[in-house]
Amino acid sequence: MNRRDFLKAGAAVPALSLLPEALLAETTIQENKNKFPNALQPKMDGDVKVFELFIDIHQQEIVPAFRFHTLAFNNQVPGPEIRVNQGDKVRVNFKNKTELIHTIHWHGMHVPWRMDGVPYVTQMPVMPGQEFVYEFIAEPYGTHFYHCHWGTLLHMQSGMYGSFIVENADDPIKKQFPYDREYTLLYSAHDTNFIRNELNGMLERMKERMYLMKTGRFSKERFGVFDTKEELVDAVKNGYQPPYVVNRRAPSELPQPNWFTVNGKSYPSTPNLYIREGENIRVRLINGGTEEHYLHLHGHDFWLVCDDGLPLPQPWQQNTLRLSPGKTLDIIIEGKNRGIWTFHDHDTRRVTNNGLYPGGNLLALVYEDMPAKEAELGMMAKKMGLKSLPVVALDE
Amino acid sequence: MHKSRWFLILLFVFIGAGGRALFAQVSPEIQLGARGVMSFNTNVAAHEATSAVNDFSDTGLLLGFRQKLYNRFRGQLVIGMQFPDANSDLGQVFFHQTFLRVDDKSNILKMGRSRVRSALIEFPTLRDDDALYFTDVLNPFSSGENTEDNQYGNVLELAHIFGQRTWLRVHGEHFTETPVLPATTETDFSLNAVGFSLQYRVPETQIWNRPFLQQIGIGFNNFLTDRPGYTSRTDKMLKNISVSTILNLRPDPVHFWDFRVQGIYNAGFKEIENAAAFGEFARAKATAGFASLRYLYRELERPTLQLALSFGYKTFPDLLNSTDQAQVVANSFYRLGENFDAGLQVQYSRNSGDLAGLLGESETRFQFALVYAIDQSWNRQFSDRNSLLNLEHGYIP
Repeated sequence: MNRRDFLKAGAAVPALSLLPEALLAETTIQENKNKFPNALQPKMDGDVKVFELFIDIHQQEIVPAFRFHTLAFNNQVPGPEIRVNQGDKVRVNFKNKTELIHTIHWHGMHVPWRMDGVPYVTQMPVMPGQEFVYEFIAEPYGTHFYHCHWGTLLHMQSGMYGSFIVENADDPIKKQFPYDREYTLLYSAHDTNFIRNELNGMLERMKERMYLMKTGRFSKERFGVFDTKEELVDAVKNGYQPPYVVNRRAPSELPQPNWFTVNGKSYPSTPNLYIREGENIRVRLINGGTEEHYLHLHGHDFWLVCDDGLPLPQPWQQNTLRLSPGKTLDIIIEGKNRGIWTFHDHDTRRVTNNGLYPGGNLLALVYEDMPAKEAELGMMAKKMGLKSLPVVALDE
Repeated sequence: MHKSRWFLILLFVFIGAGGRALFAQVSPEIQLGARGVMSFNTNVAAHEATSAVNDFSDTGLLLGFRQKLYNRFRGQLVIGMQFPDANSDLGQVFFHQTFLRVDDKSNILKMGRSRVRSALIEFPTLRDDDALYFTDVLNPFSSGENTEDNQYGNVLELAHIFGQRTWLRVHGEHFTETPVLPATTETDFSLNAVGFSLQYRVPETQIWNRPFLQQIGIGFNNFLTDRPGYTSRTDKMLKNISVSTILNLRPDPVHFWDFRVQGIYNAGFKEIENAAAFGEFARAKATAGFASLRYLYRELERPTLQLALSFGYKTFPDLLNSTDQAQVVANSFYRLGENFDAGLQVQYSRNSGDLAGLLGESETRFQFALVYAIDQSWNRQFSDRNSLLNLEHGYIP
């Protein structure tokens, strides 16, 4: 192919990016099931559901050929899904396998305050090698999530988040919109350069600090943690300089996310939502990142049914919603308009991979029962030799 | 020139520029290293008047550009300039670093002007060349009018790293031949030295794994000289062997102690029985040793105070006049702010035999210094080989 032909082909690629044949292949549909969080299976201890969670450093491949180091629950980003029934007694044995410090916060859950995972407020942090047992009753029902509450800015975008679903046998949503299939989508944004630099720095500091802790020489000033505000003020008066002052180590800029993921993957590795004509699907949307996402579904008006896990008094229809950091929203999509439809962030800065479009929070709603005839490629595409859906990593 | 030839030239220029614009997508990592070393020196030398000097030598600037290549490799360009000693005959500014480097997880190829592998380890002195006669294999081609001849050269180096910590380096250099021509007008840049070294060293990022053995190494430096009266390349080769080790005596995060020592054996040329010139000094059989004991106090995870005491001794058994050298360096640095130090250094050096005439009998130098060193990078896109993530959690190219 000469340069002119290459440019012609390149210009044609965007229009073909959502051609359907490959999306309807059975292998694609089966593989797609692995792109949603695995449900963590509990063991029963009497009437208590016991879950085992650990945290370790892991490498995550967001898209082919791009990996970065993450903090991963059970070596998964996002962490495994914990799914229980309302009122279940839940125990989570959390093991810290890293040389960093962590806790787990149960976001949206009404846990006893000592189980809330806020370091130095509700519990002491879980130090390297330590375990902590969280116990609570699963309340309220709905879509929630869990995440690390230590070094939250770094640890969450490094991968420490996972869905926590509390089911209700008498779920009003299911009564109003009967459905059999549901999907969980966890959104996040990552400044991979910030993550790499900060994780390296923290690992170095923690190696040093752990030794000082073992020898009983770890001071409040060294850790930057004081019992009271007065202690901090006194320390500053006596010459202590907090790390956030510009002559210590404060970075000059806040993180600027350059990768945007859904279930730990960016387009073209993102999961797709499969639906059939006449079917309702429930999609649980969770924002575990720092950015707002304006999610737009083509060709449909979906029902927004839950906000922060709470059923809305009156579901309302829209085709674009705002998913803020820390927010969970549940939507019902009715299979009323056969086709392949994109579902993407309409802040298109987040539909990029490292600054290049397309990428990021881009996925498709796919009618898997679409007739094969409709799935055929157009004549123009056939003439170009395309046999299936191109996986697009444009370099215009 | 014929009109059509002009047209062709313009066309090529246009195509070239267009090509660059089309593919100019990789934004490199930009690295800036700067070091300002300002000292007020008082020199008390035997048989000479005491002098006082405001010295800013060793002050320098490094600019680096680094990016990932298409495969697992990374490419880097470094350009650096330094302010040499006033009487160095190197001009106001000396471009001491101008090299390209290509590396992957286990291999490094470096080509260009850079620091030669004349020493296995560094010592805690105010300036890199404060104890050069003891710490470095000396350049036998140099006139000795500056120390940069011994430290920088045109380098071709290949390194392979076994298992993160064991480094095998094979290197060839062109050392500046100042007795023939001033450095700035030199035209022959053929390799005049070859060598290799094998070192075990713990990456700096793993210092808080608290290893006792930080480094141990052996190096061979061979200079391809024009030794008069010999035709065999082996006979004309000036051979040096170096050994070194760094021991973390107390790898404590607050009160850190280490000890480092390096020995250099110069096989020399047996016909060198007098050392009236630097070339003879560098070609005479010699054994040198240099050792430092260092204490580092680190308050709140930052260096606060460093004290170091170093001692060097060098002997020349083949010189007819009994000749040796000794040096003691004591210094302390107090950190005024991030990367900004105030320092005091006292060094005493003594030369006997032939070297008393060549280098002076003795000198005591008192130095008060301010040192500011920065190492910044922008647009960082990947981790260093020795980052903890890469070392302990899987290397990502």
